[in-house]
Amino acid sequence: MKKNKNPLASLGLAFGLALGVSFSATAGEFDGVTLKVATWGGSWKANMEKIIVPKFEALGGKIEFVTGSPAANFAKLVAGRGRAPFDVMEVLDAQVGDFAQVDYLQPINLDLIPNKVNLQPFQYNTTYVGSWNTQETICYNTEKFAELGLPAPKTYADLAASELQDKVSLPDINSGAGLANFGGVIYAAGGDEQNIQPGLDLLKKINATKFWTRGGETKTQFESGDIYAAVVHAGWCTRAARAGSPVMTVHPEIKPGVKGLAKEGWLGIMKSSKNVKAAHWFINEYLTTDFQYEYAINSGVFPLNKDAIEKMKGDEINAKLMELRPDAISSMLRLDYSKVDKTAWIDGWNKTLTK
Amino acid sequence: MENRWIAYLIPPFIITLLLVAGSQFVFIQNSFYQDLGLGRTGTDLTLTNYLKFFSDSFYLKTFWITIKVSAIAALLTLFLGFPIAYVVARMKSKLAMFLLAGIVVSTFVTIVIKVFGLIIIFSADGLINKTLLNLGLIERAYSIIGTQEGVVIGLMHFTIGFSVLLLYSVVVTVPPSLEYAAQIHGASRFRVYQRVIIPLCAPGFVVGGLMIFNMCMGAFTSAALLGGGRILTLPVLVQRTVMMEVKYSTAASIAFVLLVSVILINLFSLIAIRRLRSARLVVA
Repeated sequence: MKKNKNPLASLGLAFGLALGVSFSATAGEFDGVTLKVATWGGSWKANMEKIIVPKFEALGGKIEFVTGSPAANFAKLVAGRGRAPFDVMEVLDAQVGDFAQVDYLQPINLDLIPNKVNLQPFQYNTTYVGSWNTQETICYNTEKFAELGLPAPKTYADLAASELQDKVSLPDINSGAGLANFGGVIYAAGGDEQNIQPGLDLLKKINATKFWTRGGETKTQFESGDIYAAVVHAGWCTRAARAGSPVMTVHPEIKPGVKGLAKEGWLGIMKSSKNVKAAHWFINEYLTTDFQYEYAINSGVFPLNKDAIEKMKGDEINAKLMELRPDAISSMLRLDYSKVDKTAWIDGWNKTLTK
Repeated sequence: MENRWIAYLIPPFIITLLLVAGSQFVFIQNSFYQDLGLGRTGTDLTLTNYLKFFSDSFYLKTFWITIKVSAIAALLTLFLGFPIAYVVARMKSKLAMFLLAGIVVSTFVTIVIKVFGLIIIFSADGLINKTLLNLGLIERAYSIIGTQEGVVIGLMHFTIGFSVLLLYSVVVTVPPSLEYAAQIHGASRFRVYQRVIIPLCAPGFVVGGLMIFNMCMGAFTSAALLGGGRILTLPVLVQRTVMMEVKYSTAASIAFVLLVSVILINLFSLIAIRRLRSARLVVA
């Protein structure tokens, strides 16, 4: 038997063995673990399936999705008295107050989320880690506005123009963006979290006839000519633009020094979860540059990851329709939901805007 | 022997009762406790949720809209469904079976797809608006979303297949020989409909109409998608109360009002028809 005396071959063999050992060690990290994630369906889930799921499966685990809006998933939680059918959940800023009352989340060990360095300090704490945000805008059809002789809207009140009658779509109070945008309208009309009447008066003046529950509806309505303007987050406007609609966004003037409105998304780990390590791993992966960028491009949300935000500048449509300057993003209105009386807001909305 | 076979029905009956009545009971029981939000309820029995429903103009308006759009949709569906059912029932060719099969298959199509089809047809650059605009019948595109007419159209779309099948089964029970006899004695086609077919089908109209009305009262998808957040019906309001506000007791009280009102409307309709029949105001 001849011995192989080629030192390069021995080195290669040793390297290969070492790689194999190290790979098999990490490969089994989540053997037999099924992590359940509560999130939206559609492009949200598809992006996770494309980027995060293969990585988790390479570590031996499996990810299942419980799809639905955060409101629907919260309702499931309440019905199950906190025994969640999932481990990790997407939470909207408007729900943070509700979660505070029911104690369904467990603390997050931030040491297990090294990718938090890509976020700003206010975007994570021991209960929630930020996942994305949205820039709530007025998306309008530039060609139709030009045809009607209307200038680009500057704020919500401009949507009350008689030429736009029956051509404006607002987020329904029942939608994920409902409370946030209602809040934006309230502030723009001179009210605040506790004084909603100016906002209701302005909404009455706008007299919108269409209310969307899913942002995708506005994209279809822009394409079919059913609407010329919509209050919707910039991501849906970029989707309409990518589909060929001649649309542009305006970050509405809310009050002196405040232009635009931001809605925050968070991730939380359920108290009933037994897959705590995997849940932390998932949140950490959510914050990688690759995922945050892909997510932003395909779902239309805005990334929190600083490098992903930089990458956004390379996309022509994003650069045109989204606010990419950090100082301008920071100065957008963020509602204080602890001051929001949800029941009063919904009640006021229902009594004013339903026929 | 017969009793032995009946015994086999007892287990499924108990299971059905537990699943349907049991879950309903828990839900309804919840409605008699004060709603503290986020799925929590008070400890004392109270009628607070019901008092709120019947004293708040918003709930009463929604209640009225639900009854109104359901009644209109049921009547129009009967009106549209009957001629189709009649023609199919009187067909002698095999085409009748194909048409019936088509109607059955169409009922399998999910309502979401059906409603989105309607939305596309009625969109600003859709078939209906383009035709009406080209004919000069309207000045600007008409939208069905967020209108009561839209909700009625959606409910009709939802129930029309069912109504045709239901009325078909009624029409086939009327022997064609009765129509021929009337015609031989000089009755016009209109007279045959007026004096023979419609009176004989009247019980079917009543039962069918009530069934369609009940379906419309409980319909969620058509009302939610075509109401567009502007026209609320009780099922939509129940969903919003559960999903948005997480107020289970309030939602349960609305659902219970809906359930009881449907039962009462059916009951009173049947009593009224019976009285009319005994007064010979209705032939059937």
